[in-house]
Parts: sequence; C-alpha cells; structure tokens
Amino acid sequence: MPKSQPIYPEQAFRPDVIRFTDIPVCQYNKTLEEEKKNYTKDDFMRIYHDMRTIREFEHMLNEVKTKGAYGGIEYNYPGPAHLSIGQEASAVGQAFPLDINDLSFGSHRSHGEIIARGLVAIHKLPENELYDIMKNFLGGRILSIVEKHMPADNIKKLAQNFLLYGALAEVFARSTGFNLGLGGSMHCFFIPFGLMPNNAIVGGSAPIAVGAALYKRCNGKPGIVIANIGDGALGRGSVLEAMNFASMDQFTKLWGMDGKYSDKGLPILFNIFNNIYGMGGQTWGETAGYGYAARLGAGFTPTQMHSERVNGYDPLAVIDAVSRKKQILLEGKGPALLDIVTYRVSGHSPSDSSSYRSQEEIDAWIAADPIAAFRKKLVEGSIATEDEFDAIDEMIVRRTEEIMRLATNDEISPRMDLDKEPDAIANLMFSNQKVPSFDTTRKPDMLMPKDEVPRVKEIKNKVRSALDKDGKPVPKMKLYNIRDGIFEPVIDKLYEDPTLIIYGEDNRDWGGAFGVYKKMTEAVPYHRFFNAPISEAAIVGSAVGYAMCGGRVIVELMYADFMGCAGDEIFNQLAKWQAMSAGILKMPVVLRVSVGSKYGAQHSQDWTALVAHIPGLKVVFPATPADAKGLMTAALNGTDPVIFFESQRIYDLGEEFLPGGVPEGYYEIKIGEPDIKRPGKDITILSIGAALYRVLKAADMLKEKYNISAEVIDARSIVPFDYTKVIESVKKTGRILIVGDACERNSVMKDMAANIADLAFDYLDAPPVALGSRNWITPAHEYEEYFFPYPEAIIDCIHERILPLEGHVPTHDFTDVAKTERLRRGV
Amino acid sequence: MATLVIMPRQGQSVESCIITEWKKKKGDRVEIGDVLFTYETDKASFEEAAKIEGTLLEILADEGDIVPVLSPVCIIGEPGEDISTLLAEHGANEVPKEENAPTAVQPLEAPAAQTVAPSEGTAVDVASLKISPRARRLAEKTGADLSQVIPTGPNGRVIERDVQRLLDLGLTMAAAAKAALAPIPEHAVTHQEVPQPAAPASANEAEYRDVNISAVRRVIAKSMHASLSTMAQLTLNASFDATKLLAIRATLKERAETLGLPNITLNDMILFAVSRTILSHPDLNAHYLEEEGVIRQFTSVNLGIAVDTERGLLVPTLFGAEKLSLAELSAKAKELISAAQKGSISPDLLRGASFTVTNLGALGIESFTPVINPPQTGILGVCNITRRVKEVDGKDVFYPAMGLSLTFDHRALDGAPAARFLRDLCTNLENFDLLLAK
Repeated sequence: MPKSQPIYPEQAFRPDVIRFTDIPVCQYNKTLEEEKKNYTKDDFMRIYHDMRTIREFEHMLNEVKTKGAYGGIEYNYPGPAHLSIGQEASAVGQAFPLDINDLSFGSHRSHGEIIARGLVAIHKLPENELYDIMKNFLGGRILSIVEKHMPADNIKKLAQNFLLYGALAEVFARSTGFNLGLGGSMHCFFIPFGLMPNNAIVGGSAPIAVGAALYKRCNGKPGIVIANIGDGALGRGSVLEAMNFASMDQFTKLWGMDGKYSDKGLPILFNIFNNIYGMGGQTWGETAGYGYAARLGAGFTPTQMHSERVNGYDPLAVIDAVSRKKQILLEGKGPALLDIVTYRVSGHSPSDSSSYRSQEEIDAWIAADPIAAFRKKLVEGSIATEDEFDAIDEMIVRRTEEIMRLATNDEISPRMDLDKEPDAIANLMFSNQKVPSFDTTRKPDMLMPKDEVPRVKEIKNKVRSALDKDGKPVPKMKLYNIRDGIFEPVIDKLYEDPTLIIYGEDNRDWGGAFGVYKKMTEAVPYHRFFNAPISEAAIVGSAVGYAMCGGRVIVELMYADFMGCAGDEIFNQLAKWQAMSAGILKMPVVLRVSVGSKYGAQHSQDWTALVAHIPGLKVVFPATPADAKGLMTAALNGTDPVIFFESQRIYDLGEEFLPGGVPEGYYEIKIGEPDIKRPGKDITILSIGAALYRVLKAADMLKEKYNISAEVIDARSIVPFDYTKVIESVKKTGRILIVGDACERNSVMKDMAANIADLAFDYLDAPPVALGSRNWITPAHEYEEYFFPYPEAIIDCIHERILPLEGHVPTHDFTDVAKTERLRRGV
Repeated sequence: MATLVIMPRQGQSVESCIITEWKKKKGDRVEIGDVLFTYETDKASFEEAAKIEGTLLEILADEGDIVPVLSPVCIIGEPGEDISTLLAEHGANEVPKEENAPTAVQPLEAPAAQTVAPSEGTAVDVASLKISPRARRLAEKTGADLSQVIPTGPNGRVIERDVQRLLDLGLTMAAAAKAALAPIPEHAVTHQEVPQPAAPASANEAEYRDVNISAVRRVIAKSMHASLSTMAQLTLNASFDATKLLAIRATLKERAETLGLPNITLNDMILFAVSRTILSHPDLNAHYLEEEGVIRQFTSVNLGIAVDTERGLLVPTLFGAEKLSLAELSAKAKELISAAQKGSISPDLLRGASFTVTNLGALGIESFTPVINPPQTGILGVCNITRRVKEVDGKDVFYPAMGLSLTFDHRALDGAPAARFLRDLCTNLENFDLLLAK
C-alpha cells in the first residue's frame, strides 16, 4: 500500500521463474575429533550432564504418573505430564549457544527446554548475578527453601537445585513453584534465564514469540527469540500466520526510513522440535504433505528462512545449527527456521498406549538413544571414563530424589491456602497498575513535534460538543467526534511511552478502516505504527508477546466479527498470562474492535459476551466522545489487556452529555464505572454501547406517550463493572431493562440482568429484563429494525414484561408463549 | 338450573367492590328479594338481593374479599345440582388465553384484558399471589391489605402500583387483623426467660372492642387527613339576619301542598343561595390542581351536600345547581340525601362536586371549621340560629341570626375575596325574596 512502492503491470507480469536453493537435511557430519577444537571437556560433560538431568526429571514424572512413586517417595500427581524422553539432545543442543538475552517460548512438552536453558544460563552467569536473580525472585522465597534444605558448596550447584526445585514445585502446583503453582507443567517458565512462557495450545508460542521479536526489534534490545513448536503445530493457522508476519518485507524495506532507523529483519527462529507425531497423528506420511518440515521455509521468504533439517539426536549437530541461525538473526537476516528431527520415546502423555506406532519403531529409537550414544562417543573418544559418567548419573539421581522429596513435602512446599486467602487467585486476575510509560529512560521515536501532527492541528479547530453555544448542532466537519476521542489519548501516549507500538490491518496509510488514525501516519515512524497482514491470530498473538516483554501495544482487528480468527490468542493467551504467571507478567495490550452495521451477518456483530466470559480481560464499550477518550486514556495507562469496543454507527457523533464538551487536556475515566446519562424515576434502562441512542429515543417516547420517566444508564464498561449505581437506580425505580446490540442469548445483558436480580431482588417490581438482538444472523441493513433493539421494541418489551403501559398496543411479541417458543426452537 | 350471581357494577368508575357481609350461608334457602350479601365500593354500601329463588350452592368470595365488578360471587340453584361446569367456566376465566399467540410484527391484541384482569371471582389468596418483590416489600412496610389487591402486572403479577392503589384506597390491614394473620407461636412465648412486665391496665381486653375500619371510614380518613395535611385552610365566621328567610320558609311550608311543592328546608334555601352567589366568586367554585398548575374554575355549580349516614359521612353531588329552581333543587337534594342514607347511591354521584355545603345547625353548633373536600377550594358550614340583638332606629331589637362558617384554601384564594363571598351570600340570604325573583 505505501505510495513509495508503486507496482506497475509490466513489473507484475514480467516473465520469471522462482528459484529455490537446496535446503540442507541432516548435513552435519563433524567428527568428535573435529569438535574437540570447539568444545572443552567441561563443555562435553555439561552437555551430558544436562541431557541426563532432563532424562531423570522426566523419568521421575513418568514413575510418579505410572507407579505413584519415585525413589521410594509415594506421591499422587493428577496433573499433566507431557514428557520429552528422547528429545533431550535437541533441547540441550539448542540451549548451548543461547544466553539470557535470548528468549525462548515453548510448548506443552518443554520441561527439557526449561532445564536445558536454565542450566546453560547458570553456567554462563557470573555467580553474583546468579545469586541476585535467585534472591530477587519472588522475594527470595524459593532460594531460602533451597538454601535451607538443599544447600550446596557453590552458587552454581545451588542454582541448579533452585532451577530443578522451582520447576518441579511448579509442576506439582506448589505455591513455591516459579509461578506459585498457577502455571503448572505445561506453562512453567523463568524469565530471568530467558525462559518465556510455555504454551499448552499447540503452536501457541509462534505468534507470541513473533511479538517478543517485535519488541526486541522496535526497542533495540539485544538477543534473539526462539519459538519452540512441534511438528504438529505446523498445521495451525496461527503458526503459519506468525511465520508470514515475521517475514514481512516492510521490516527491511520500509522501517529503515532513509537510514534513520534499523532495517533489520525480525530476530526470530521458528524451531520445530519435530518428533514426527502430533499427539498420535503422524505428520510425516499422514497428517501433512510437506515431508521434511524444513521445506516450509521456502514458502515464506526468498531466503527460505535459512531453513534446514538437523539431527536432533546429536546435541553437537543441534548446537552447530542453532549457533549459525543465531548469528544470521543477529545480523538482521531473520526470520529463520529449523526442523530438528527427534523422537519422543515416552508417550504423548502417560495415558498414551502408543496405538499409533509399533513397538519395533519405539525399540529402534530407544536403541538410538541420544544420551547413551553421546556417552559412548565421549568414552570412545577418550573424553571421559564410564566411571566419570556413572558418578554424574548417581549425583543426578540423588539430586532428583531430593528435589522430589522437597517438592512433595506439604510443610516445605505448601499449596496456596485458598481457605485463608480466598482471593489469592482473584487478586492475580488483573494487575490494575497505572504505568504511564514503560520506559522513562528513552525519548519516544517520533517524526515531528506533537503540535505539528496534521490530525492534532485539525482537532484543534473542532467543536468539542455536539451543540454550539446557541444550542445548534455543530456541522459534521467541525465536530469533535468519537474517532477524535479515541485518537487523542493514542497520540498523547505515543509521545509519552516509547514502547508503545500500534498496528493492525490497514492502520498506517489508510488510517484504520474507520479513520481513527487518520492524518497520524506522517508523525510516527514505521516501527511504531505499521500495517499488519490479514492475520488476526498473529496480530493479537504478537501483541501478547510484545506486552510480555514489557512493551505497550494497541492492536486493531477492524471488525469485532474477526475476533473468531484470533480466538485462541484472545481467549487463552491475552486473557490468561497475567494470572498464569502469578502476576510476574503484565499485559498492557489494548485490542480495538469495531462493531459494524449495514454489513450483514459477518460484519455486524457485537461480541462483547465472548470476551466478557473469559476471565482476565477488561472490556469497555464507550458510546460518546468523552467516554471514548476517558476510557482509552485509562486503558493506555493500565497494565491489563483491554478489549476496546467501538461502534461504526456512532463514530461521527459529538459529545451530547458532558457539560462543556470533551475535555481538552488529560481525561481519564475509571474502567468499570457506568454513567447516568439521563436521570429518571419510573424505570431504569441500562444500555451497552451504541444502543444508548436508541434507548434515549425510547425514553423520550415513554415520557411523551405514557408519562413514564426512564433513568438511562450507559454501562460504558463491561468488565469490570461496578453495579453500585445501577442497584441504587433499581432501588429507586424498581424496574430495569438492559439493552444492547448483541444477540440476546448468553449476552452481557442477560448476565447483568441475572446479577441485578441477585443484588436487588427485594426492590424489584419485575424481573430485570434483557433486550438484545434476535438470535439470528444479522440481516441486511434494510431489515435491521427487525433485528436490533429499536425504540419501539424497547417500549413493547417494557409493556409486556415489566410495566403494562395504558393503552399501548405492542407490535413486537414479547409474550411468554412467544418467548418460550423461540427458546424451544433455539432462535 | 344453577345461576351465577355476579357483582353488580355500581357506576362507571367502579372497578371492584368489597364484600362486607354474607347474609346467607352456603346451603341456605333463598327467596327472591332476600338480601344475599352486602358490599361496599370505596364510597358507598349496597345490598344485593336475590333475583331468583333456590338454594345458595356455592359462595365464591368471602367477606372482606375484593371482587371485580361483573365477576361471579355465588351460585344459586337446586340442591344436588352439578355446578362443576359453572365452576370450571369461572376458573377458566383466570387462565390467560394462550392459543392465539399472535404472529410477529402484526399489532397484537391489546393485552389490557388479560394482563389487567384480576383473578376473577374468588377471594384473593395472598399466599398464591404472584407479587413482585418490590410490591411485597411495599405491602409489608405499609400494611397494605394484599387480600384486596387487583394485579395489573404482566401475567397477573401484583406490581408496585397495585399496592399503591390499595394504599390510595386506604386498604391496609388493621392491627388486629395483622396480628390474626401472624400469631406469635406459643412456644416463643413460653420460652421467654425475661419476666413480662405487667400489662398496663388499659390493655385489659374487657375494656375495649376493636371495630374494623370500614372502607367508607378509610376513604373519609384518608381524604380528610390529606385535606388538612396538604391545604392551607382557614375558616371565616359570619352570621346573617334570618328573619326574612324564616318567614319565606314558613310561607312555603304552609302552601306546600296547594302549590305542589316539596318540603323546602332551610338547608335547601342555603344551597339555593350558594348556587346563585358562588359563580361570581369563581375561585371558590373550583378545584386547586397543583400538579397541573391550574385552578380549574367551574362554569356550573356542582354542590356537594354533606350527609351524615350510618356508614359515615357521604357527600353526594347536586350537579348544575344554578340551573334549578328552588323547588327542583329541593326535590333533587332530598333524593340524593335519601339515597346516601340508604346506601344505594351511585358512586358516580359521590364525586365531581365543585363546592360543598355541610350543615350542623340542627345539632346546635354555633360555629365550626369544616374540612375541605380536596381538590375543592372551599366548604360552607351552616350553623344554628341564635337570637341576637341589633340596634334599629336607636332601639335594641332581637333578631334570629344564622351562623355561617366558610373554610377556604388560602393557596387558591386570599382572605378578602373569601370574605366578599361570605358577605354576598349573607346579603342574598337576608334578601332571599329578591334572590327568588332574579
């Protein structure tokens, strides 16, 4: 789209062929003798030690799951255990060249990566730094347990105990785990060692890792990012979206801005731990057609993502490959892709009967066991003796038993006490902090002073109220509207928080499909404001990763209807990581979605209910310019994910309620506060989003025709929501109708109605009634009055279900009979 | 054949009546003309006489029940007769029509009939009422008598306004009735460890009798209290020389038979004088309607006549009094007073007065402070006749002086205009012959 890159027919139609270069497959063939030049004995022995440590850890869990005991300690562990026996060489090989600036994201099968990367970090970090990390983590809680019960003669060994204990306590849901036991086996991580969250959603880490790479790229941070995913994840759209997102030309072709800013590619390595099975589905020969997973690189970039396939049973081959990819990424030639072929001898989980593979196959892989093979190679190469290895083995078994003993001891490793602290988890659902800037040491990259931004200048001349001094409507072109209300806090924040980046479909040159970012492009460099591919999963997923790393981000999905395309990223990632990390991670993401109208069944849906249902998301839906400004300001100052609903019906509207119009300066509205837009005494109508204006019309009609005075409350926020004002109102009026544009079934309106019935039962003269849209597809605009709650339907609903109005003849059927029938039919 | 007896409609404004007493029991033999039961509207009491003979087979509403007009009250027929069909029909009325669920978008049948229809005929069983929590709360707080409620909410639900209506009608449960409904469980009393203080002497049951407050009494109470608590009332007292009035009355009485005149009373003459005087004082022939922001001055004189009846004060209205001759007015007033005293007056005649006259003169009252019937702006109290002295040509002369007490609403008019009315009225009464000639 940028005008700087015109594309003409002769260029588009020019005859050419697409050439590929060979993708290496298991080409590593260095001998031990050759490698002796690259590794010390200590290196070789560490590689063995680390692999063996993983093996014992997984063996312990397997024993616990299948036999209920390990090392004589009985324990019942009901949770998940996706073990990686067989994959140790891949994990250790990958970790070897990495340092704590390199961030890796894993999968449900990532115990090995945690241990491998943790052990490498411990090896590489100076002792004092290492000790400080442990001392500062969760107030030294884990360190003090380890120092008391598993003391060691040096800091490095103590740190190894710390790592293994913290990880196992986390697996066993102990409050002494790395995330207070709230992450568990599939979500264990430890950021100080570069270990970012592991993800139980297959491929979930891919878009998140892209966001982390984006964070490094946009904020000039050192290191690379690795997305550890399995071969099964290659069937996931979000993974393919992530690869495409990471491959965008603009990083190298547009972001450089004439030499002013970096023009490097994203420093991300998509690392496929290819164990050939996605649970039981065989990706090599059954559920995919690419053959070698490394082939995928050729589909995304002319560099073929520097893809290659590597023998994941040989730690030295993996180290060799990862080292080279890291170098490529640091040079700015990312993204990269590795297909590390390996095998999990253990089942997908302990309940896996391996019905999908033959015992011969498993036996063959056991025979090729990477740990035994590596030991044999080192013994044969005279690096160390069997006795030396036996000593390592013995130490590891002893240590693992000790860690098991510690992590299963309820005194030393207690669970969260939800009897004593019933809100312990509730308190972690939101961070609720106010952080105006995530990096106060840097000046935000911008291309002009704020007061010269064309949009800022335009807004200066606008009237900030819907009516002028004489009470006449302000002409549309001069009116400060809801778009402006959203824009103002955004531009302010761009000049305040250097980490803030903004992206989404058609955001930059177009200014957003609905013009919220209009005339802003000139002021913001590409790396802070860019067009995303039409990849909703990657857009939201990358925002999650960006925020996890400590940056603020606004992403936009254009239509609320497209949230479905980013379902996992919104519901499982954006919503959950603050609590799953026990508050270690913050999630300062504002996700803008717009509720359409006139655009039919797939472009006109209010999906507030979907996001409101998921714990961990804040949800707002302002309906006036002042509320839009106030709530966006709050969202952008906060540390929680906010789903910011907008409505295309009302973008053009001016401020009709706040006396004096939309405040010019800083203006923040606390998320969760409804607002009384019109006081009344006979009935309360609580509206959500753009329905406000139809509710006000209905209130007018009630007054004029039936002398009923309606109190109109605008919800403004959906999660959280302070019911105080609403309950006060209901105590006064005794009646409430909740109106919104979402389909009525399971809507926010229904939820609010239920809560109000709970909270104000004794004051009610009628049940709280929810009125939403019909449970249909959204029909064409010409039928909208039959679908959305229009004023006439609002009045009919009040008449039939709450307060019969004298002489009123309804035209909509809200009788019990009709309602029951509709429910029976599911429509 | 068994026949349903329905609650008669006593005037267009009456929606329901309260059964006050059953004169017949279930199973009693009933002759035509026998009084079956008595009932009251909010303003008057009535008797319902049997129009057919037979046996009282079923009673569908108990004493104290509110029964919508035209709803069944009892069944008369022959002993052993099957009345199940009648009962079923009666019961079926309560079920809202569901089969004709209208199709969407077409205008629906106005639901008033089904949603406003109360549970017809039977006593309202409070326990089975569908009542909104808010309405129940209001009823509990105010002691509104839910057994008399008419539900107007969706699906026959009692909603706040229905309870409010009970309160407007003064239909609250008397303390005794409340106690009867919620007796203190015996064990709760016997387990009291704290010694009970001796009951005060006045609480001795033998020393008082609880008389249920009648519907009429409630209405009076509410209306009078509302009057005194909302208005700015004050009373002016004056008297006039009734010599001529008494003389004319004597003449009329003498000639009544020959002229075919009714027995014209002093009160009739005062009513007549008021009807001829008050139109020149429009603020007193008026309603003070604060909420609507108007004083509604009537162009016709609708005189309320306060009548002392067994059930309490009733005020029938003599509409268009200024158009009637003295004889017509007298005849009409008699008719109204008689109907009020008998309790047979139509409730429609118990409303709509623009000014009221009340007479305590026969009871020897010399002056009093009548209470205005809202939203009227005045009420004239007629007192007794006393002998007074006045100086005529330097000599003291005795004359019969009749007292008048005018209470007016100072919100609607000031003292001087009210006094002017009283002065003009006295002048007209002193010169009643001239008034008749007009």
